[in-house]
Amino acid sequence: MSIQLNEFSAEPLYHQIEVQLRALIVSGQLKEGTLLPSIREMAQHLKCSVITIRRVYQDLEAEGLIVTRQGTGTFVAKVDPEERSRHRLEAVVSAMREAVEAGLRVQCSEEELRELFENALREAGAKRSPPDDGVNRTAGGENEG
Amino acid sequence: MNDYGTPAIRMKGVSLKQSHFRLGPIDLEVPTGCVTAIVGPNSSGKSTTFRLLMDLMKPDDGSIEVLGCKIGGGKRIDLLKRVGYLPEEPYRHDNVLRAMDKAEFHRQWYPGWDVNRYRELLGLLEVDHSLRLGKMSKGMRRKFDLALALAHQPELLLLDEPSSGLDPIAWRVMIDLLHRYMESGDRTILIATHIVEEVKRLADFIVFLAGGKVIGMFEKDELLTGWHQYYFPGSIAEWRGVLSDLPGLAGLEDAGGIVRAVTGSAREAEAWLAAREIAPVGRKSMELDDILAVLVEQEKLRRQGMKGVKP
Repeated sequence: MSIQLNEFSAEPLYHQIEVQLRALIVSGQLKEGTLLPSIREMAQHLKCSVITIRRVYQDLEAEGLIVTRQGTGTFVAKVDPEERSRHRLEAVVSAMREAVEAGLRVQCSEEELRELFENALREAGAKRSPPDDGVNRTAGGENEG
Repeated sequence: MNDYGTPAIRMKGVSLKQSHFRLGPIDLEVPTGCVTAIVGPNSSGKSTTFRLLMDLMKPDDGSIEVLGCKIGGGKRIDLLKRVGYLPEEPYRHDNVLRAMDKAEFHRQWYPGWDVNRYRELLGLLEVDHSLRLGKMSKGMRRKFDLALALAHQPELLLLDEPSSGLDPIAWRVMIDLLHRYMESGDRTILIATHIVEEVKRLADFIVFLAGGKVIGMFEKDELLTGWHQYYFPGSIAEWRGVLSDLPGLAGLEDAGGIVRAVTGSAREAEAWLAAREIAPVGRKSMELDDILAVLVEQEKLRRQGMKGVKP
């Protein structure tokens, strides 16, 4: 599972992990029924505390994205297709908003922002054309639902 | 941190006066199911705290509870069966014993002794238990003692600088072993350490101990993401006034044409800076030892301040 933490950010770790794990589930990269690492394993893997992971799992469980079965572990739940499309855009919208704010902080004009967006889009397009290395990803899950 | 049930360890007003050192009063609760790291400079009272928990020393004052049992209440043996203790230094009096004979003796005291687990631990740690303890290298002896502390499946592990003498490979094995030990969720580790990376990889909570006193207990991730330093171009004279209200400000110093501001409330500080359109030229998170240094310094100032107030 690819979760990247930015140690230099003042953003709380639980929030960073939650956003990324939610995205992995909602996008279908983690399929329904996938067994997630235990709280301790995840903490070891990400070098953070079990307090942080417990909070992430609790929040995602409350949202219905994961379920914990006593004694067997925590699994990815079934994501309702409507929910999925809502969630899917939610993450993008908030990331865009952040990007715009970052631009405005350094006095970018609207024009400049548009240009940056176009550039980023082109760069991503160029990167995407060679086949994805797909580390630890379940193939073909993205268009589900 | 109170949704972790009964704390595995509870110290209330514990103090101990020695000829050269005064410990406490210490108030500390170690949560069950978590790894709590005690971090502090040399002779801050870490090993003394462990000895008090193991009833190897008696406090002058205060009360100690370990796994729900009152220390000094006489039922020491029953409690010890449930605890794995790795002291700071190995016991020298058993140097002539072969490791396997020591294990044979040791297991008599522990009904929970699991011979398969013991063998598995020796294998993982690459310990040759046919050696005499006195002939073992420091690292090998450490690994053997760690295996002994773990082989009876204790509920609580007290580890006093467990990694001293371990090579990097053995160190990684130890970290992994300890994580797996914690997997079931109802066990507890209290570990004293100097090693920043060890705290980062293992700990859930951090207790800072200095001069015999607890100067703070923090959840690790909150602590590490909360402390940041920001850099501003110019002299300290220009910035002192501007930054005096920076949330969590814990230090401001001239770093040669550039001013470094340290804060313990990074999120609030960033919002504060953004609202005033002050853009630092650089920012950095802080390492545990830097944070410890700042806290120790603050504590010193606070104590001097208190002394100053007295007539």
